[in-house]
Amino acid sequence: MTLQKDPERNETKLLHRYADFGDKRVLEIGCGEGRLTWQYAKETRSTMGIDLDADALRVATIDRPSDLEDKVYFSLAKSEQLPFSNERFDLALLAWSF
Amino acid sequence: MVHALSEIRRVLVPGGTLIDLRPVLDHWPIEAASAREIRETGRMQDLPTGLADDEAARRSMADAEQKGWFIRERQEFFPFFYVWDSPGEMEEWIMDEWQDFIGMEEETRRATRSAWALGDGDAQVRVKVKMLMTRWEVLKDL
Repeated sequence: MTLQKDPERNETKLLHRYADFGDKRVLEIGCGEGRLTWQYAKETRSTMGIDLDADALRVATIDRPSDLEDKVYFSLAKSEQLPFSNERFDLALLAWSF
Repeated sequence: MVHALSEIRRVLVPGGTLIDLRPVLDHWPIEAASAREIRETGRMQDLPTGLADDEAARRSMADAEQKGWFIRERQEFFPFFYVWDSPGEMEEWIMDEWQDFIGMEEETRRATRSAWALGDGDAQVRVKVKMLMTRWEVLKDL
C-alpha cells in the first residue's frame, strides 16, 4: 500500500514554530516508528521515544540514522508509569495515536 | 490520562514545555486530488467511540490546567493529509486502522471512486485530518 502522511509537512513546520529543540532533552510519548522523531531529533541534546508497540519501536531503532545513535533512544514504556527520574527532560511531545 | 499528565509533569523541569499533538474529529473531508484539481467527494462520519475519545482527551487537559499543572501558551488547528494512490487503498486503511472511530457512507465511497477514476492520470485520494497542536508550560512550586 502506498500511503503518504503529511506530504506538505504542515506538522513539522508548525512543530518548529511551537518548540525550540536546540540542545533540549526531549521525551516523545507515542513515538511509533519514529516518523515525527526524525523531523527534530538532530537538533536536540538527547531524545527518548517511548511507545507501547514493540514492533514499531523495532522499526524506529532500525531506521535510526547512524549519526543519531548516540543521542536518540527508544524504550517500551507507558505514559502512566514513566521509567525516568524527576525533571529529566526539558520538553515533552505527546503525540496521540490514530 | 490524568495520571499520564501527572507523570509527564514529574519528568519535566519547572518551566519545561509540553507539546500536545492530536487529531480532532470534525467530519474530515475526503478529496480526489491531482496537480490540476482538488475535488471534495464527501466527508467522514464521526463515530461515538471517536467522539468520546476526543472528549476524554480534552477533559484530561482541562483538568490538568485547572489543577495548575500546566498553563496553555499557544494553540492552533492545522491540516494533516493522508494520501493514497487509489480509493481501494484508502478504504483498506480506514477498515484496518480507523474503523473504530470514523466511518464512510456508501455514497461517499462511490463518489470518491468515481472522481478518482475520471480524474487525471496523477489523481490520488486523500483525507484532510484536523489536527490540534497546543504548547503548555509546566508549572511547579519552587
